[in-house]
Amino acid sequence: MVRMLQSSSRMESEGGVHTRRGRSPGSQWPMHLLLGAYVVVMLFPLMWLLLSSFKTNREITVRTWSLPSHFNFGNYKAAWETAHIGSYALNSLYVTLAACFLTLLLSSATAFALSRMKYKGLSKKIHAFILMGLIVPPSAVFIPLYQLVTDVHLINTLRSLILVYCTYALPITIFILHAFMQSIPLELEEAGIIDGLGAAGLFARIVLPVTVPALVTVFILSFIGNWNEYIISQLFVTSDSLRTLPTGMATFNDGYRTNFSSLSAAVIMSIIPVLAVYMFLQRRIIDGMTAGGVKG
Amino acid sequence: MINALRNPWTYIAFVVPTLVLYMLFFIYPVVVSFIYGLYQWDGVSQKAFVGIDNFKRLLHDSTFLKALGNNMYFMAFSLIVNIPLVLLISIVISKVRRLRGFYKSAVFVPVVISTATVAILFGVLYDYESGLFNHVLRAIGGDGWAREWLSKPKLAMLSILIANAWQNIGFFIVLCLAAVLNVPKEIADAAKIDGVNGWNETWLVTLPLIRPILFVMLLLTVSGTLKVLDIVQIMTNGGPFRSTEVMSTYMLKVGFRSLELGYGSAIGVAMFVITLLMSGILQRIARSEEVQY
Repeated sequence: MVRMLQSSSRMESEGGVHTRRGRSPGSQWPMHLLLGAYVVVMLFPLMWLLLSSFKTNREITVRTWSLPSHFNFGNYKAAWETAHIGSYALNSLYVTLAACFLTLLLSSATAFALSRMKYKGLSKKIHAFILMGLIVPPSAVFIPLYQLVTDVHLINTLRSLILVYCTYALPITIFILHAFMQSIPLELEEAGIIDGLGAAGLFARIVLPVTVPALVTVFILSFIGNWNEYIISQLFVTSDSLRTLPTGMATFNDGYRTNFSSLSAAVIMSIIPVLAVYMFLQRRIIDGMTAGGVKG
Repeated sequence: MINALRNPWTYIAFVVPTLVLYMLFFIYPVVVSFIYGLYQWDGVSQKAFVGIDNFKRLLHDSTFLKALGNNMYFMAFSLIVNIPLVLLISIVISKVRRLRGFYKSAVFVPVVISTATVAILFGVLYDYESGLFNHVLRAIGGDGWAREWLSKPKLAMLSILIANAWQNIGFFIVLCLAAVLNVPKEIADAAKIDGVNGWNETWLVTLPLIRPILFVMLLLTVSGTLKVLDIVQIMTNGGPFRSTEVMSTYMLKVGFRSLELGYGSAIGVAMFVITLLMSGILQRIARSEEVQY
């Protein structure tokens, strides 16, 4: 499935060129009208929230459709101080990056061994065993998982999140990297072997550099997944100072349910970093998500 | 020469750490939840073996059945409303010549926002006094249409479904668009020579050829709606009056609030089995209908 999705995203740019040609310049405005309306409906809530974040609570209710009377950043200051967005974001960044790094390290090494090293019968079995992880819904096993994390004394630590996020990303990541590495021609490695490299050297100096495009894709996939994860972090981390951004936001939400100006500012602040990353990496993110579409 | 790739120590070093983590945090909890499901246990005192009593209890537990029904409602809505909308928008995007990149990026924006944030955002949008939804309704239809979206049992589930659709549709559009643009141009050209044009081309050529991606979308929707959790927990936590309870929110309440670890695990096992069954059925259908082109 993944291979099909990957090839479809690769083909797409070429497809775009084809469709430009050979059509009568018939009227396309009804289609643009439909798409425009759709985009407005999808993005309007965010615009409304952005405007609300500069208003007072009274203005949100009474003067919904007008611009804020003046753009005061007081809501942002208040939300920043009471919602601790900054420290939650730092926790999120630490957990997300550490889990992504660990995922890439483990999955690239494993995918290399399973696809390139010469224990094929064993490798096939291990690969199938790991792919079983794609069908288990993690939320179904939270009770024993919680017990386990408590038993190994990792409860209420960020390390528990790093290990669990990494584990749950492994099946899809190994799946994608394994498929990619199998498509690398063996001749590349043969050249390395002539130069006297061992298995580890072949992995580090030859295969890994060639695999960079797939590594970027799985990095982005797991980055977005880890950055947005809520339930595991909410179950495992109880001290306020260790919360990640999504759980921190949910806690803030519980306390400020009626203070919409602060809430809007906090939501906008939590969206801005991920939106900024998205703007920079759009193309890679969209292709990466398409390639990893089996994750669900 | 190929012996360079036959170093058992490297193999072990490259595979074992992954397997240890995977066995510990993935396989072990799955196995344990099947075992816990056979016990009555509060996490502190002695476990009491009750056999399949927990599973029998599930079949008569009206809350669980209500939750399962809500998962099915979630699934039906996503299949009947979201997927046709996804198809429509992605096919139209594939047909326009200009601004395609812009539309593709814009529809994807909600996908990168965390579910927790989406839940909070819609909580604000749905507010009775200040929310955008009721302001729009008051603007177009008078006060009579304004509603308490999240606190009316009949509307709460629908309100969550709309928020969920807002967040997820963009992902499916991008997925589907990639498949639509991947349909070989020659086939469309051949169809044109045969006199198939415009929307007929979509029905007769595009849709049959993107069947594989349709199955991927069905599979993701089915498995996704059976395990849905965070958006429900933050927006309503199953309320009001259990009207939005889903299997996973119920499982967490039973396991972590009532401390019935055995029964909670049985609910987890049920989720696991139902997901497996439904995906298995879908995959069987998909295999019997593979397209060739």
